[in-house]
Amino acid sequence: MYRCLPFLSYALFPALAAAADPVEFFEMKVRPVLAKHCYSCHTATHMGGLTVDSREALLKGGGRGPAIAPGKSAESLLMTAVRHADPKLKMPPSGKLSESEIADLASWIDGGAAWGKAAPAAKAGSKYTITEEQRHWWAFQPVRKPEPPRVKNERWISTPIDRFVLAALERERLKPNAAASKRDLIRRVYYDLIGLPPAAADIEKFEADKSSEALAKVVDELLASPAYGERWGRYWLDVARYSDDKLNSTQDEPYANAWRYRDWVIGAFNDDMPYDLFLKAQIAGDQIEHPDKAKLVAGLGFYALSPQFQDDRVDATTRGVMGITVACAQCHDHKFDPIPTKDYYALLGVFTSTELGEFPLAPADVVERYKQSKKGIEDQRKEIDEFLDRQANDLAEILAAQTARFIESVRKGEAAPGLDGETYERWKKYLTGAKREHPFLDDWDKDSFSPAQFQETVIALNREKKEIDKQNMIRLGGSEVRRDLANADLLSLARDRYFLWRDLFGAGRFEKFDSGVLYHKPERLERFLSGAWKQHLIELRAELDRRTKAMPDPYPYYHTIQDVKDPKNTRIQIRGSRDNLGDEAPRAFLSVFAKGDPEPFRKGSGRLELAEAIGNRENPLTARVWANRVWGYHFGKPLVATPSNFGQLGERPTHPELLDYLAARLMEQNWSMKALHREIVLSTAYRLSAATDESNFARDPDNRYLWRANRRRLDIEPLRDTLLQVSGQLDRTVGGAPVKLTNSSNRRRSVYGFVSRRKLDGTLSLFDFPNPNSMSEQRIETATPLQQLYFLNSGFVEDRAIALACRVEGSAFDTAGRIRAAYRMVYGRAPSKEEIALGEEYVSRGDDPWVRYAQVLLSSNELLFVD
Amino acid sequence: MMTRRDALRTLGSGFGMAGFAGVAAGSDQPLEPKAPHFAPKAKHVIYLFLNGGPSQVDTFDPKPMLTKYHGQPAPSGNLKTERKTGALLKSPFEFKPGGKSGVPISDIFPKLRDRADDLCVIRSMYTERPNHEPSLFMLNCGHVLPGHPSMGSWLTYGLGSFNQNLPGFVVLCPGVPVIGPQLWTSAYLPSIYQGTYLPNNEKEPERLIQHLRNRHLGADEQRRQLDLLAKLNRLHLAREGSDPQLEGRIQQMEIAYRMQTEAMDALDVSKEPEKVRARYGEGDFARGCLIARRLVERGVRMVQVYYGNGQPWDNHDDILIHRKLAGTADAPMAALLEDLKASGLLDETVVMIGGEFGRTPSVEVSGLVRVQNGRDHNNHGFSMLLAGGGVKGGTTYGATDEFGFKAVENRVHPHDVHATVLHLLGLEHTKLTYRYSGRDFRLTDVAGNVVKGVLA
Repeated sequence: MYRCLPFLSYALFPALAAAADPVEFFEMKVRPVLAKHCYSCHTATHMGGLTVDSREALLKGGGRGPAIAPGKSAESLLMTAVRHADPKLKMPPSGKLSESEIADLASWIDGGAAWGKAAPAAKAGSKYTITEEQRHWWAFQPVRKPEPPRVKNERWISTPIDRFVLAALERERLKPNAAASKRDLIRRVYYDLIGLPPAAADIEKFEADKSSEALAKVVDELLASPAYGERWGRYWLDVARYSDDKLNSTQDEPYANAWRYRDWVIGAFNDDMPYDLFLKAQIAGDQIEHPDKAKLVAGLGFYALSPQFQDDRVDATTRGVMGITVACAQCHDHKFDPIPTKDYYALLGVFTSTELGEFPLAPADVVERYKQSKKGIEDQRKEIDEFLDRQANDLAEILAAQTARFIESVRKGEAAPGLDGETYERWKKYLTGAKREHPFLDDWDKDSFSPAQFQETVIALNREKKEIDKQNMIRLGGSEVRRDLANADLLSLARDRYFLWRDLFGAGRFEKFDSGVLYHKPERLERFLSGAWKQHLIELRAELDRRTKAMPDPYPYYHTIQDVKDPKNTRIQIRGSRDNLGDEAPRAFLSVFAKGDPEPFRKGSGRLELAEAIGNRENPLTARVWANRVWGYHFGKPLVATPSNFGQLGERPTHPELLDYLAARLMEQNWSMKALHREIVLSTAYRLSAATDESNFARDPDNRYLWRANRRRLDIEPLRDTLLQVSGQLDRTVGGAPVKLTNSSNRRRSVYGFVSRRKLDGTLSLFDFPNPNSMSEQRIETATPLQQLYFLNSGFVEDRAIALACRVEGSAFDTAGRIRAAYRMVYGRAPSKEEIALGEEYVSRGDDPWVRYAQVLLSSNELLFVD
Repeated sequence: MMTRRDALRTLGSGFGMAGFAGVAAGSDQPLEPKAPHFAPKAKHVIYLFLNGGPSQVDTFDPKPMLTKYHGQPAPSGNLKTERKTGALLKSPFEFKPGGKSGVPISDIFPKLRDRADDLCVIRSMYTERPNHEPSLFMLNCGHVLPGHPSMGSWLTYGLGSFNQNLPGFVVLCPGVPVIGPQLWTSAYLPSIYQGTYLPNNEKEPERLIQHLRNRHLGADEQRRQLDLLAKLNRLHLAREGSDPQLEGRIQQMEIAYRMQTEAMDALDVSKEPEKVRARYGEGDFARGCLIARRLVERGVRMVQVYYGNGQPWDNHDDILIHRKLAGTADAPMAALLEDLKASGLLDETVVMIGGEFGRTPSVEVSGLVRVQNGRDHNNHGFSMLLAGGGVKGGTTYGATDEFGFKAVENRVHPHDVHATVLHLLGLEHTKLTYRYSGRDFRLTDVAGNVVKGVLA
């Protein structure tokens, strides 16, 4: 649940000292008390004629007159009520406020009863209006393709993008860096587009190609490679909070087919699926009219695999796709952006009108056969368990009738003839062993103790327990469902008697103790069975065996959502409380995009209409948000520094016209992502060197205006993939079920590793992989000593070093030759003389010098950072 | 707000002053100690989490009326909790006054009781929900839903840590508590502030921390490797021109190298004298408490120790199990307090002891229990202990009703505890914010008041 801070007051009064500012004091100390203790009766329902949600209302007061007298707390009726000074007027009825709360109210009144101006909580029946000023916010303006500006240095221009960048640089009197070396450039474009380094031969080829098309050729090759989708699909999966399992609080709970959604995303990028269709498929893939409909349904994993929190789906849809923080309006109208609470619940209603489903990727008869087989096996198992449990209970009763003889035997130290030997041993262990949790057998070895009498107790106890079970079953209406159990008022044995029963008759299934003395578990029970009983068990088991063998493999399916039969609107939860419901919020799109009230959705849950409203050229946010993300992944910094918040509290774009140009081009080229990449990476702006420059740095240390390329640390996926690649071990198999990254034989690209919502892989979390429990705004790059331990000591890096050393040692006989080979493999270049000398010195002694040397090369800054 | 000792500790184990300044300027050292908002009373936090929900009326909140009315229905009825409960159930344990202050603690914690003069028992805790997950999230992350940073993450984000050779926020649990790593997540804060989890059922230090030890290389051999790496990185740096990112990583390699020794030493409880280990006793929790002490001694900002895997204190069936659990919790908690006190560290460490909620004074009668001698979850009232720097020891604060069901006097919400602990560490909780998803977030959400009554 999002509950937003009263940040308006922070913005206005950053230096908060207690009561230093009256409005601040009101927001911090008074309004929360009024909201919590008074609003429920004294807002819309105005009990006693009083409302307390404005200063005016308090001054006006209720039936007894004004509630406050500013400056005079002693004379204020409100204080009389909360101090319980008048026995007829004690407020709030739920119990007296704390002394500090009362004191705060008093000092607020004494200080003049200042009132903040932040938005009030949503009220039943209140009408929210969006002002013209709000509608004119930049991000809500239609996307128009701006005319690329004129610049002084025309020679710098490669694509229209450059005009926007250079115009800003010229305006800010910044001089862009020279172009990066071809080596740096090809490495940059490889990591950007496919997340892998170029091989030495690729670099050399590019360096040798002097044509003006050299870069374009490389870019086209990379965009056509399946590795492109593996890189860019993963970016989307950050937004989609993709996970291969659920956040189960006690045990692992993997999804069977989550990876099919992951592969669908990768495939969509590789196929250059238009971005609008890509979105629509994920929102309503089951409802879109499309020739290849089955292909779109897999996209529904976006919601089918989502974390199961109320606001997640609304949040991922609005913040992730449109950069608008609708989940902030869960408890009150958005304080800054034009989002009434109603909008949140209007969208929530769309999702609560859906249910999880599956789209089988097998013929109906195969699915049916699998389900039948599975049920058949479960039924048979149950049958066997019940049979054995019945026999075990019967046997326990038989043995209970021999209790006295068993105890007497243990006293004598020898089993009487005819008694079961194993049961005798159990009795012996039980009687002579560790402390019991009941007193019944405390004196078992004394003369005063009567085994015969105890036997009567045992038999009566078992009878009592059976009777209780029967009664409880009646109380539960014949159902042993967990919820019924938790809420039912059931009978039980007294504590001591229960423990005796447990120790003798318990099956040990529910608790962490061995089965009771008299209860023989199935594996120990069979020797007691004979004749028809034994034969029956053999037959039951043979049948189970037959059914298990005949069990077909699980059929594959997509995780999907579907509309429920009877879609319903949700009601507004006032201040986010489920116990305080307001008006119904008709399922509809956001108010800010409608003239008056938004048109309610009419088709089923409304998902298709929602999809159409989002994947739409008229929607000013969709294309801008995606263009901004794409730019950010290419440049290491998006134009809007808060890619998931284009609202008032987000950052403004550094290059607003450029953002619009990119968004317009995205739509103009039929939402082609590849076309957008191409236009960006072929610009001059993209090709600058990462070198620093003192005068530029002094003016623009954060490189807001893009006078240079940003140096970037590799994300964990390209890092791990690179270590595998340069050691010659990367398995490039595409798609399929995930394998944990901790599995040392997993040499596939990291995007195919198992992603866990419950317990994120140690290496992933070490290197800033986003938490898949919520939509991730953007990757962050930290650098910590613990990360360096990974290079120093991890088995993964060590294994790569061994593999690399083998390659290196096999490449040449002489040391210098091997060092050259190593540099070529790892960095795609020749080493300098100094580097050769250092290497030669290093490998001249020690054990396994080439492995150690290889590890050093793999741990270097040159490998980890991209210029 | 760095004292001379802190500075020495940092620098002695870190790098030279020049390097220090350079790295700090590049903000590549987000764990460097940072100045608090005002003069702090304490610098470290040790949070001993008795997960599962220990019962207040059997531990720190004696209720004579409960004994008197044992077996009878509560006159005002039972409050709504997770499951059905029945008549009032007296505690099977006796309470006795401890220390000079006479703060009463039950017989299952005899050693902790002897340290009563160090303890402030908050008896009026409450949370919103009678379920483990939301209450665990609330106590740890200040919200009932997942996706928010843990208290330790906020502290290290706000204050850094004193030892750059060790993680700033360490979490110990033999196995994992219910929910697991989401309880020590940094969520939207940079991931360096995430809790470093150590499974303290492992006895060997190198099994406690990821990649802590090289399986094949000796220290000398690794030193040679690092020397070569540093030279190659310097050549690279010379080609690229000065860059704080690149320089920062060269220094971090050195820190990582030292961390191997330092962490190995900190986590190796066998280095403690036999007599000391004997006072902590046997078991995972004892080892956890001892490691916590050793980490704080070395400058770690916050250490959290979960009592056990899953939720051991969740005794729905039989409250007598509390005795067994306390049996392995009592000695380590007392020994930890004693050691911290002896070394003076207690003055600069806040020790928190408690679970995610308490238990009902009424007996649980739901069909899920087999012995009707236990208690259901109770979010309406429970106890939590504070000790150490800036805390008023030997006192109780707040009260539950006569049967111990609901906090009625000076009620304290986890937000208030968080605000108070932050206050003790010199942070104004309303100002420790992080901008994410369009708004400023904080540990205490939109609530929280410093509980003045527990301050010394």
